[in-house]
Amino acid sequence: MIRTTNLRKIYRMGNVEVKALDGVDLTIGKGEFVGIMGPSGSGKSTLLHLLGLLDLQTTGDIWLDSIDVDRLTDYEKTMFRLYKLGYVFQDYALVPELTVAENVCLPAMLRSDRKEEEYRADTVKILKQIGLSDRSSHLPRELSGGEQQRVAIARAIVNKPDILFADEPCANLDTENSSVVLDLFDEINHELKQTIIMVSHEDWHSKYFHRIIRLRDGKIVEDSG
Amino acid sequence: MGKKELKVALFLAWRSLRRGSRSSAILTIVIIGMCFTNMIFLPSLFAGIGQTIKTQIVDYEVGNVLVSPQSGDQYVTDLDATLDLINGMPGVERATPHYSKGATLKYRQRILGSSIRAIRPIDEKSVSPLYTKMIAGSYLGEGDTGEIIIGKTIAGDSSIREEDEFYPSLGGVRVGDSITVEYGNGYTKDYRVKGIFSTGWTSTDNAAFITWSDMELVEGESLDKAEYITVKTKPGYTEKSVKDVLMSYGVSPKVQTTDDLLSKAIGSVLQSFDIINMVSLIVSIIITTVVLFIVITIKTINSRKQIGILRAIGVHKEVIMHNYGFQVIILAVFGITLGIVIASLLALYLSIYPIVTPEWSAYMHLTPIDLVWNSLILFAAAVFAGYVPAYQVSREEIQSAMRV
Repeated sequence: MIRTTNLRKIYRMGNVEVKALDGVDLTIGKGEFVGIMGPSGSGKSTLLHLLGLLDLQTTGDIWLDSIDVDRLTDYEKTMFRLYKLGYVFQDYALVPELTVAENVCLPAMLRSDRKEEEYRADTVKILKQIGLSDRSSHLPRELSGGEQQRVAIARAIVNKPDILFADEPCANLDTENSSVVLDLFDEINHELKQTIIMVSHEDWHSKYFHRIIRLRDGKIVEDSG
Repeated sequence: MGKKELKVALFLAWRSLRRGSRSSAILTIVIIGMCFTNMIFLPSLFAGIGQTIKTQIVDYEVGNVLVSPQSGDQYVTDLDATLDLINGMPGVERATPHYSKGATLKYRQRILGSSIRAIRPIDEKSVSPLYTKMIAGSYLGEGDTGEIIIGKTIAGDSSIREEDEFYPSLGGVRVGDSITVEYGNGYTKDYRVKGIFSTGWTSTDNAAFITWSDMELVEGESLDKAEYITVKTKPGYTEKSVKDVLMSYGVSPKVQTTDDLLSKAIGSVLQSFDIINMVSLIVSIIITTVVLFIVITIKTINSRKQIGILRAIGVHKEVIMHNYGFQVIILAVFGITLGIVIASLLALYLSIYPIVTPEWSAYMHLTPIDLVWNSLILFAAAVFAGYVPAYQVSREEIQSAMRV
């Protein structure tokens, strides 16, 4: 499902080069719940952004669903993200002017293969699943951090993506809310056979992951798979 | 960009305006409304002044169409036959002759040079509203002899000292007083002042009128000639069409409409108005464009992270660009509507309470075409001002936008 070869990402800040990723080779299969862990600055988020087509690698190749993503145009990448990928960010990243229900169905609204009745029904179903059906007409600012992150997860899965990327989704949550979010990921992974790649630096999250990839200084230092 | 994408862009724009900062949206709408009012106000005020001047020239000087003697001639001759011909033409309400003579007016110790104009009062009433402008006494009757009506400026005011007068006058003539008129040909006659008028049109208020028959006494002959003939057109007929008919019938080789005369007489004034209007229009457009550019730029800069996130979840950059574009379009529509309301209320107010100066009274001459044209110009400026920053920010790399 996901394959990278010799993936490098170098940031240039004036004359200084910072190697964020330094030759990463990995393969992730369908339905895996992968945790990318490592200390701060190890390249976890950079790897996630490259795999999620949010950034461009300096060198190396990324194959998603047997497609060399380097060959995709900007428009094709946008469509790939819309149809195949889902994202959950650290700071929820909900549109503040949209209600919970509108935030959830926004990615579905853009898909030409989805009818309005269909994605509205899916939204209702997902909100019920995450326990927020009574909050569907609320604005994000009226929700707690944990609730906002659950809405972000609902938005990420409304299009039933092949791969779900989560960039430290529990970083701003307390342990109780973090558990709720991780249980939700676990449920999605089991029930929908969803591939999930999640960045975390909390050791206690490890118990949720099928596989842990540890990074240090831009290199993979441990791969439990 | 398909229908679906445009629908999402409109959805995002509308939600952003409805649930975003209300004060910012209202402020932007008010700014656009004021810019629209600014674009409309000065040009329509100048148009109003121009219209007032034109009306006064039509009413008190030349009518809708002016028939003058052909080049080299001093008078339109064979007057009665010419008047019969003109009055029989389609589109002609009435034609009336004018004949004037330079004279010196004397009243007590005051002496004043002026032009004495001879008119046929009944015909004149059909062409000029002078008879409605009497502020004392009454208008001339057809058979009046030895009677004169004079402008307010000539009559003067006894309470104002001669050296303080802006225009020289006879120093306070009243109805019933007798004034002596010495014509250039030596003919002298005392006239009783029958009425005093005030038109607000300087050259008319500096004139005096007597009947045609009185002027025949001055000239010592029957006057079958006129300096010029003023023609009033019937409603529904254009001045140009009446002029063409008169010329086709060979009334005179020199027939001019008011517009023909105005382009010569006050063409440069109107041209100056046009230049000022253009400068005012350009300034308004620049202000509107810059304000909207700043508003949308601030809005997009503040939303950079959100724009990055929208792009990350699969919203195409053109949807994001149109989202901001639609916001500007909606703000511009509301702003222009507000501007139309303000401008219309101002126009209504000034039509009731015009700005009055010693020379003219000004109101706003506002036409639907002015409103539509200015709306389109402002709308185009707003769309340009909104789309430029929206285009720029939508093209930013997802990572750099999200890193904010």
